[in-house]
Amino acid sequence: MVELSLKVKENSQKFLKKYVLDEGLCTGCGACVSICPYQVIYRDRTVQLHQCDLQDGNCSAFCPRTPADPAALRKMLFESADLTPEIGAVKGYYFSRAADPELRATAQHGATVTVLLELALSEGLIDSAVVSTRNQEFLQEGVIVNNTEAIRKNTGSKFTVSPTVAAFNRLVTKEAGNVGVVATPCQALALAKMRISKTEEFENKIKQLKLVIGLYCGWTLSVEKYTKLLLDKNITPESIRKMDIPAGKNVLEIFTDDGAKAIPFEEVQACVRDACQYCMDSTAEYADVSVGSARFAGSWEEVRQWNQLIVRTEKGKALVDLAVKKGVLEVRTAPEESLNELKAAAVNKKKNALKNIIRKSGSVKNLLYLDSRDPAVLKYLTKEVFNKKVK
Amino acid sequence: MSKLLSPAKTEVLFMGNEAIARGALEAGVSVVSGYPGTPSSEVIERLSEVARERNLYVEWSTNEKVALEVAAAASFAGLRSMCVMKQNGVNVASDFLLHLSSSGTRGGIVLVECEDPGALSSVNEGESRYFARMLEVPLLEPASFQEAKDLTKWAFELSEKIRNIVILRSVTRMSHASGNVICGKLPEKFRTARFISDGSVMDPLRGPVVSTPVVIKHGLQQKKLQTAAGLFEKSPFNSYTGPKRPELLIITSSACFLYSREAIEMLGLQKRVGILKLSCTWPLPEKLLKKYLRLTDRIMVVEEVLPFLEENIKVAAMGMLKEIGMKTFYGKMDKTLPSAGELNPEIVVAALSKIMKVKPASLPAAYVKEIQKVAPKIPPRAQTFCPGCPHRASFWNINTALKLDGREGIVCGDIGCYAMASLWPEIGFHTVRTLHSMGSGTGLASGFAKLAAFGLDKPIMAVCGDSTFYHAVIPALINAQHNKADITFIVLDNAGTAMTGFQPHPGINESAIGDPLPSIDIAAICRGIGAKVAVSDPFDLEGTGKILTSFMAERGTLKVLILKQACALSPEKKGKKQFQVKVNEELCLGDHCGCNRLCTRIFRCPALTWDREKKKAVVDEVICAGCGVCYSICPQKAITRTEVAQ
Ligand SMILES: Cc1cc2nc3c(=O)[nH]c(=O)nc-3n(C[C@H](O)[C@H](O)[C@H](O)COP(=O)(O)OP(=O)(O)OC[C@H]3O[C@@H](n4cnc5c(N)ncnc54)[C@H](O)[C@@H]3O)c2cc1C
Ligand code: SF4
Ligand code: SF4
Ligand code: SF4
Ligand code: SF4
Repeated sequence: MVELSLKVKENSQKFLKKYVLDEGLCTGCGACVSICPYQVIYRDRTVQLHQCDLQDGNCSAFCPRTPADPAALRKMLFESADLTPEIGAVKGYYFSRAADPELRATAQHGATVTVLLELALSEGLIDSAVVSTRNQEFLQEGVIVNNTEAIRKNTGSKFTVSPTVAAFNRLVTKEAGNVGVVATPCQALALAKMRISKTEEFENKIKQLKLVIGLYCGWTLSVEKYTKLLLDKNITPESIRKMDIPAGKNVLEIFTDDGAKAIPFEEVQACVRDACQYCMDSTAEYADVSVGSARFAGSWEEVRQWNQLIVRTEKGKALVDLAVKKGVLEVRTAPEESLNELKAAAVNKKKNALKNIIRKSGSVKNLLYLDSRDPAVLKYLTKEVFNKKVK
Repeated sequence: MSKLLSPAKTEVLFMGNEAIARGALEAGVSVVSGYPGTPSSEVIERLSEVARERNLYVEWSTNEKVALEVAAAASFAGLRSMCVMKQNGVNVASDFLLHLSSSGTRGGIVLVECEDPGALSSVNEGESRYFARMLEVPLLEPASFQEAKDLTKWAFELSEKIRNIVILRSVTRMSHASGNVICGKLPEKFRTARFISDGSVMDPLRGPVVSTPVVIKHGLQQKKLQTAAGLFEKSPFNSYTGPKRPELLIITSSACFLYSREAIEMLGLQKRVGILKLSCTWPLPEKLLKKYLRLTDRIMVVEEVLPFLEENIKVAAMGMLKEIGMKTFYGKMDKTLPSAGELNPEIVVAALSKIMKVKPASLPAAYVKEIQKVAPKIPPRAQTFCPGCPHRASFWNINTALKLDGREGIVCGDIGCYAMASLWPEIGFHTVRTLHSMGSGTGLASGFAKLAAFGLDKPIMAVCGDSTFYHAVIPALINAQHNKADITFIVLDNAGTAMTGFQPHPGINESAIGDPLPSIDIAAICRGIGAKVAVSDPFDLEGTGKILTSFMAERGTLKVLILKQACALSPEKKGKKQFQVKVNEELCLGDHCGCNRLCTRIFRCPALTWDREKKKAVVDEVICAGCGVCYSICPQKAITRTEVAQ
């Protein structure tokens, strides 16, 4: 790792190219985009337009796939007593949903994300929020919104990557005031890295970031592969209203204008963005709260309307408490086995990521962007992971 | 009054190309055609200025072949005509030239070709003298400004005497330098055109003008050449200066005569070295040659660029070996002189001092001082597009589209100012990958596009200028369309032949002498062949970018994007700024992360300069053309622009 960090000093942009873009590690988070003229996102690819010769630049500092100091990040954001190796900081773990059934009907699951955003806005905790929208060509864009109507227009999960952090970089001006961001794990990590790296140009902007609502994330899909799959299935991207991965069915459900269609999970899996196989985080560990879909016995129609909610920071706790107090969010204590299941799934993703990283680098000694001295990494460098190394 | 019309017997300072133009006027030329190309363009430009007074028809033709055809028609009708082009233009014209020299001509016709040794403003060092030998036509090479005029006039007479075309060859240093010329008389009468073709096919003046029967006409053509050789033997244009028994004989032509004379003077070798200056270089006047080859047994041939004279002299010398004896030849073939690049007096001095075993230290001190004085004044300037040049914006767009597309597309370049994008990759943002002759970019692209089946599956682009489009692109484009070549073809339409000085072309509604002409619409031609066509302003980075990326994504067809924006130096734009452009220092990030001098380091408009002290970008308002493109690229919106009321 020491060696890698030194290289960052040499030339940030080249570093990014060599160790992230060319390695296939780029998540498409957009952290290196719209901070300067050199990186842009086109479809879901991060592209370098011209050469930059600076050292210590923001691009490689912000990127969630360059080496970081995770201990420092955790220290800045969380209380050490809350930290777990599997899913990061946990102040509380619940099942939750919007009290308003209509809102739940339009949201992905229980609309917890939407409720919390709306409340943060109406309480003046934030003045605007960066969420993800989708255009006709099935490409996403981050947008900045500052009212309930706009937030509600952009509910629902889009399973291709959203350059949300690029939108944060581009759209958050002084006038945007305090900002909340809905972020996948890689995006949440990028935002955390932004907070810790002190650069003159960026300091003011990152101070405006007041809330990060994390989304659980198993993977995102590659636009190219996914569009092709849809085309093969005769599904036009424009007709898609909603997609979900219902518990236990092993399919991706797509609700279109002409009814629901199910695509077998293996076929979808083949469209996963390469970079996601090297990602250790399934619960957005660097957020204030993280939201996913609930898993418990019962009909999917019932289960679908619930979220899992991890509260990670004081700020997150205050917001959730207020939501409950105001009666906009229903919260249940989640059973112990649900937390265990979540942890098991999270550990699974971590181990798979490590296996894939070692396979790529060819050596346990080279964990690419990760640091084996990080306890949260070291813990999962088990025999089982090691032995997989050469395939 | 144009100095080209100066009265007889006056002494006038003429640039070589003007001297050629004056010579043509004195010969009573009626039709002049050509295609612009440095260093030849001024011949036609100057003549177009006096066209009305001298009852001339002057035309910038679509390409050199067509130009020669236009001139030949005038000759067939008994008029005197002249066709002007740069060295590689002869290649384009050569197919017609082969047939023309075989059919023969009537009115005097001269092909003036100006070559560019050292490729000062070319992408080749083409040697067109070989065409004279290969196509069996006489070749003249003036060695002074006076001779440039006199020899041009005589070329018409020679052409009429032998009833065939004559090539007159100049070089940059002859065409573009100036010297005093004593003018001759301008004819008072003008010829009228008559084309008689009802006679026998063998009648050179009354029959149809054809190259058949081929073998018989070929034989006739060779006789004409012998006649020319006979005239060359007695021509005053070939001359010897030097001692009766020189230790070394220099045989030279054109500008190299001047270099040789200067070198001999610089080394003080006037009593030891003689110069035979040949201005009639093909066919060689062998008797004359024999006379001077006898003077000594050491010969040096000084010429640019290839050893054309040297080869011919050696062959001739073999034939007269018994009479002249063995000789030692120095020149390009034994590497005494370089066979690529321009020559100059210093190179000849170096060669001479080696052969003559004298020290070049005998260079006059004053001369050395003079050289040292001017040397540092020549700024080592990196070539780049002018401020406000549409090509910079066009290549900016092309680079962005290629990068976004991400498949490492290939761009084939072509000939024009925009060729700079391949000569200095950074000014074209490292996009252009090939550069050959006019129109070749499109032909190459058409070929590249067919290599997908062999594994080269990349987006293919070609660029060409508007003038180049008419000149040689159309057949290649038709080829691409007909063969379903998947290419994005971009016309950099800057409304004129900018590189050579805004000569009109078929897209311009004006003739060489300023008369109104219909313009030919490039978009309509492309649509006519069935291509998908879009037109955009390269200064509109967003709009142009969208078209380009969508074109690249569309597979299997020919797509044409016409990027229309007049050259910053064009007469219509010159001195008129559309925008007043400034850098807001407060906002400028300079070399900090977040910008790192995008405008001065990457975009590189010469009007954007870097203030080292303040570490901010500054607009040099004097040279800024006010295009406002930098406003669109600045990530900070630190560059502001305000529209200037016109
Ligand atoms: C790519 C992806 C993968 C996921 N994988 C899992 C998983 O494996 N397991 C699991 O339990 N949950 C997963 N989720 C989370 C889940 O789909 C829901 O987003 C979450 O349960 C919140 O539901 P909600 O009803 O509160 O959301 P809503 O109230 O509908 O709000 C969703 C919010 O997410 C934003 N958003 C949508 N798509 C994206 C995107 N691609 N990137 C950033 N922001 C986006 C929207 O703009 C909106 O603000 C995933 C989400 C995404 C986007
Ligand atoms: S300007 Fe900064 S962020 Fe942009 S490429 Fe250069 S170093 Fe990276
Ligand atoms: S992961 Fe994010 S920051 Fe890193 S290269 Fe990709 S888009 Fe840029
Ligand atoms: S591009 Fe803009 S911010 Fe960057 S140096 Fe130039 S003027 Fe300044
Ligand atoms: S407006 Fe900008 S790009 Fe155009 S000429 Fe002036 S400085 Fe150059």
